[in-house]
Amino acid sequence: MKHPRLVSGIAIGVLIMLLFLLPVLYVVMMAFESPSHFLVSPMTPGSPDASNFSNAWNSADLGPELLNTVLYSVVAAALAVALGLLIAFPIARRLLRGHSLLYTFLFVGLFLPLSIIPMYAEARMLGMFNNRIGYTILHIEQPGLPGLPLAVVVLTASLASVPLELDEAAWMEGASYLAYLGRVIVPLTRPALLISFLYAMLGVWNDIIGPAVLLADPGLAPVTKGIYSFYGSNESQFTLLAAGVVIVSLPVVLLFIASQRQINRASLVGGIKA
Amino acid sequence: MMWGGLLLGLAVYVLFGIVPMVGNIIISFTDYTGLPGQAVHNLGFANYTSIGSTQAPGFEQGIVATLVFVVAVTVGQNAFALLFAHKLKGSGKFAAVGRLLVFLPIALGVTVVGLIWILIFNPQEGPMASLFGLFGVHPGFFGADYWAMTLVILVQIWQNVGFSTLVFIGGLRAIDPALYEAAAMDGVGAWQRLRRITFPLLAPSVTVNVMLAVVGSFTTYNLIYVLTDGQYGTQTLGMLSYNVAFGSFEANLGYGAAVSVVLFVVTLVVAMPMLALLRRRERRLVG
Repeated sequence: MKHPRLVSGIAIGVLIMLLFLLPVLYVVMMAFESPSHFLVSPMTPGSPDASNFSNAWNSADLGPELLNTVLYSVVAAALAVALGLLIAFPIARRLLRGHSLLYTFLFVGLFLPLSIIPMYAEARMLGMFNNRIGYTILHIEQPGLPGLPLAVVVLTASLASVPLELDEAAWMEGASYLAYLGRVIVPLTRPALLISFLYAMLGVWNDIIGPAVLLADPGLAPVTKGIYSFYGSNESQFTLLAAGVVIVSLPVVLLFIASQRQINRASLVGGIKA
Repeated sequence: MMWGGLLLGLAVYVLFGIVPMVGNIIISFTDYTGLPGQAVHNLGFANYTSIGSTQAPGFEQGIVATLVFVVAVTVGQNAFALLFAHKLKGSGKFAAVGRLLVFLPIALGVTVVGLIWILIFNPQEGPMASLFGLFGVHPGFFGADYWAMTLVILVQIWQNVGFSTLVFIGGLRAIDPALYEAAAMDGVGAWQRLRRITFPLLAPSVTVNVMLAVVGSFTTYNLIYVLTDGQYGTQTLGMLSYNVAFGSFEANLGYGAAVSVVLFVVTLVVAMPMLALLRRRERRLVG
């Protein structure tokens, strides 16, 4: 017991590996198992077999579903961030009288509960039920999936570090508002824009209640709904399901690792501020 | 141009973020079925008075399930997050990898996370079935009473602990290291330093994390939807609201909306005094 700190550090390290790495690795291993080997010996790896991947890809329609997911999440998140900037700029520059009240009004949006019943009613009324454009628009902002208000909160904080002199210089030169936002503000607030975009995108990408209620046509289904209904109809084909899970999560995991530094930094800042 | 942009953004926020909150209350007073072409009638408070009656079962059980879920998730998520944050707050490589790992489930999302644990706890061939089998126990896991609720709570903690951990790390890093150095110089032991410095100065992060866990576990049910669909004693009020609206052939959206309004009120009644209490604790401890 000479180094209690080291011992407890190693213990927690092992605990984190066991809890967070092992389950994921097990599912990856499972995805490479031949179904017959898995049936006999689920705990040990057999000779790697990649046929689960092609089988899952073909029988679950994962290709078109991944395309749907990318379309919904990228477009909805981009719109959320763009609209977020349009709201955040006048608030951050205190250009209107009720700017702090307006900020609070948007801040509340971070805490609203998932409300799928009225979203469904609204989708029906506005002709947004069961179509791509409607589904995308409905995902710019939803109670419980607050892409837009989060972008406003993050961007308002970030805009505070952009000097007012830049605004004045652009004003003197007669630059249009949108050109100024695009050429000066966007490059200067890139980290905040990226974080808001990633957060909004993950929310749409991972949504399962929304696609279950707001989409009926299988051709419109995003990949979460696809893999979930694949599970429902192939409950005992475990290796196939594991391969599907790996395919579905691969793009998110790669994106996540690529942007890890920003996510980490922004979340830490958010933690201090909130 | 600027006012146009502001108004466009606010219009989207109000239409899709705020209107549904009001819409939920309006729908809760009707017999809306969600099917196009069907007339909608005003029922007054009928949906509310039928909550808990024998014709609409599941409410009392839902209250119990919700409270168990909220208390267990809030306590578990914060305890684990504090433990992880304490060890992962450093700037070293191991700490960075650890942070990546605990945050991974948030990136994976509820569907993938749910399916991972369904595969691991599948009662026929999963690794956990083999492990429990060594002791002669063969539980149904997600398909058995009590087991299902326990596992749903654990997976919910697994899914969200990364975010709480990051908030705690932010809080820990904001504490001035000079305080620890001074205390160590005065011969104050590690436990006393934790009790007298870390614990009080972490109060604001505790407030944020407890509130996030309480509100989150009260209102979200997407993970429960993937894992059990509310069966085997896991039907919290949020899940109940979804299931009466979309889960059966009855499509009773009015009643589902009433349940979610009640859930919202219960959440506020619990969360608001709690927030006041935590804020007062912050002022007392931080000064």
